[in-house]
Amino acid sequence: MVDKAANYLGDDIMSALAVDSTPPSAKLSPGDWMKKNLFSNAANSIVSLIVGLAAAALVWFGLKWIINADFAIIRANLRIFLIGQFPKEELWRPWASAYVLILGAGLMTGAMARNSYELDISQELEPVKESWGQMVRRFWPVLLVSIFFVSFARTIMPYIGLAAAFVLIVVTRELGWRMPAAVRQRALYIGVLLFIVSMLVIAGTSRLGGYALGLVVFIWMMSELSQVETLPVGFVGTLVRAAIALVIAAAVAVIQNLIPHDGFGWENWGGLHISLFTTVVGITLGMPFGILLALGRKSNLPVLKTASVIFIEFVRGVPLISLLLFSNLMLPLFLPIDFERPADLTLAIVVITGFSAAYIAEIVRGGLQAVPKGQTEAAQASGMSAASVQRFIVLPQALRAVIPAMVGQFIALFKDTSLLSIIGILEFLRVSDTSNAQQEFVGKGLASVTYLFVAIGYWAFAYTMSKESRRLEAKLGVGHR
Amino acid sequence: MSETAAINTDATQVGGNGRVMIDVVNMDKFFGDFHALKNINMKVGEQEVVVVIGPSGSGKSTLIRCINRLERHDRGSIVVDGVELSDDIKAIQNIRRETGMVFQSFNLFPHLSVLDNITLAPRNVRNIPKAEAEATAMELLERVKIPDQARKFPGQMSGGQQQRVAIARSLAMKPKVILFDEPTSALDPEMIKEVLDTMKDLATEGMTMICVTHEMGFAREVADRVVFMADGEIVEVGTPEHFFTNPQEERTQLFLSQIL
Repeated sequence: MVDKAANYLGDDIMSALAVDSTPPSAKLSPGDWMKKNLFSNAANSIVSLIVGLAAAALVWFGLKWIINADFAIIRANLRIFLIGQFPKEELWRPWASAYVLILGAGLMTGAMARNSYELDISQELEPVKESWGQMVRRFWPVLLVSIFFVSFARTIMPYIGLAAAFVLIVVTRELGWRMPAAVRQRALYIGVLLFIVSMLVIAGTSRLGGYALGLVVFIWMMSELSQVETLPVGFVGTLVRAAIALVIAAAVAVIQNLIPHDGFGWENWGGLHISLFTTVVGITLGMPFGILLALGRKSNLPVLKTASVIFIEFVRGVPLISLLLFSNLMLPLFLPIDFERPADLTLAIVVITGFSAAYIAEIVRGGLQAVPKGQTEAAQASGMSAASVQRFIVLPQALRAVIPAMVGQFIALFKDTSLLSIIGILEFLRVSDTSNAQQEFVGKGLASVTYLFVAIGYWAFAYTMSKESRRLEAKLGVGHR
Repeated sequence: MSETAAINTDATQVGGNGRVMIDVVNMDKFFGDFHALKNINMKVGEQEVVVVIGPSGSGKSTLIRCINRLERHDRGSIVVDGVELSDDIKAIQNIRRETGMVFQSFNLFPHLSVLDNITLAPRNVRNIPKAEAEATAMELLERVKIPDQARKFPGQMSGGQQQRVAIARSLAMKPKVILFDEPTSALDPEMIKEVLDTMKDLATEGMTMICVTHEMGFAREVADRVVFMADGEIVEVGTPEHFFTNPQEERTQLFLSQIL
């Protein structure tokens, strides 16, 4: 009896000590899964059934509609949907521009991926190289929609062009990955310069492009020269560096302007291209402007502070449409008579930039407030100037914290570009109206077809942005801090 | 007041090698209507280690935060290494350059690697070339015994390691004084020792230090002088032996009886 009890106790302890370190399997068979999640009780079953039936009906009618729909209107207007009234003999420009853009993006992202790979190695973390399968999963909406768009083409050229673009993405990304470390560190500048070049390819040379190139080269050279230790330090050193950088930047701008002007500006731009272009420009110009406004709003100087507050609150309190109309109809009235009227798109870009800057400013302000006071104090305590504290300590952390909100703003801006139609710009959504007004399609009730097409286009890019934002958020650990 | 008490509240005798590093004269500090520091007089000599203790809310942290102008004092004067603190931003930055600070919550920069945390200020403020700044940083990390952590980010390290990086960061500016604001209060017990050991090494090497701390063992072992504060006033000052074995003031006796 006693023995048995001891045995029993021993077994019990033994089984308690034998630790099973594998987690219990959560795999369910499809039948069990449905039972657990869809039909666990009566109420759940009814909801599942109703929603299931509704979904089935939606798919059924949707498919029926798509099969019967007449997509001739898309086929006839595909080019206008994508690039507007771009002259036919200049069609090489959008293609060449897109390839230069891909070259820049591929080199830049490839190099950056490699940089973070090397950083992981140096920190003794498990480095990950993204496979092409993962890349496809990341960008599937855009990839799928570009194939979908091209499938409406009536010639073989767009197919070849798209295939070449896919090949170029793969090649340039691999190239970026393999570049030497010294080049990879400068990938951001290379990418931005190629972005401007791609804009110049599509618009032809222009003075504005020269300024943009010069500005980027100037910033690049300043950062290069700050590494040169033979130059003097302090204020004199900064002056010397700025002078050298300015000379190089000016040379680049002058050379760019010496190339014969054979472009035609952006008068004829339109379609999806103009929507994407104004979004990208609105973001890239709106960001620095917005950050300055946010800092201005927190400034101790009353003039700066008041000016920032007035600008932000005015722009945020007025619909974008009214700002666009104001710039288009009323602004020219205030300009001198002999002043040449800026192009509609120029005015629109100014408005979009100011508009996004005001919203970005408020987002950044939230980020600035989220940086703990101790960070500023630690930086101040080491003797750094107020400007350096902002630049090296506060802003990097603030911007990182607001990435999700910022991307949300970018998505909203992308969709808001559809308002450009109000001032007569032929953007993506408006092509839907103009194509339905064409003689062969008018009165045929094809608006639903063209709207669907446009909606798919908007959705693919907006959803990709949102996916990328979530990925970035996870990577930077924003949610964890 | 008796004569002994008068001597014991006098914090203006200079210790260390006799050269005055910090001189606080008749200093007052208000937060709104609240009188946070009342007529503080204190001198700290070069190479001296002064430990400031006292109940919470007694103004210890505020005192050392006034010394590098993280808080602005309202009356009186503060002179650090011959430079008087005023509203002149140049003077403030000159003093901050020579005055390191270590915080209770480390305040490392989470977006920068350990190496960048340490080299940022020397490169930015003192214009020291990158290679030289990094070499110095590695020496300092050796000194606080974590050279293998140079490439890591603060979030990947333990509290004790982070605080040692913070000490290395303040040393990188080659300061003449380091202010410690409760450096071990946010640490787990097993990590307190590694940070205190680092601070002891610094004291042995002759660094001028003011430490606000609750570590009485550290105060007893390392301090040249102990300053006891309560309600915004310096209540009693003395050598550790004198202070811990024979405190004169009732307020001090009460405090010591509560914590020892």
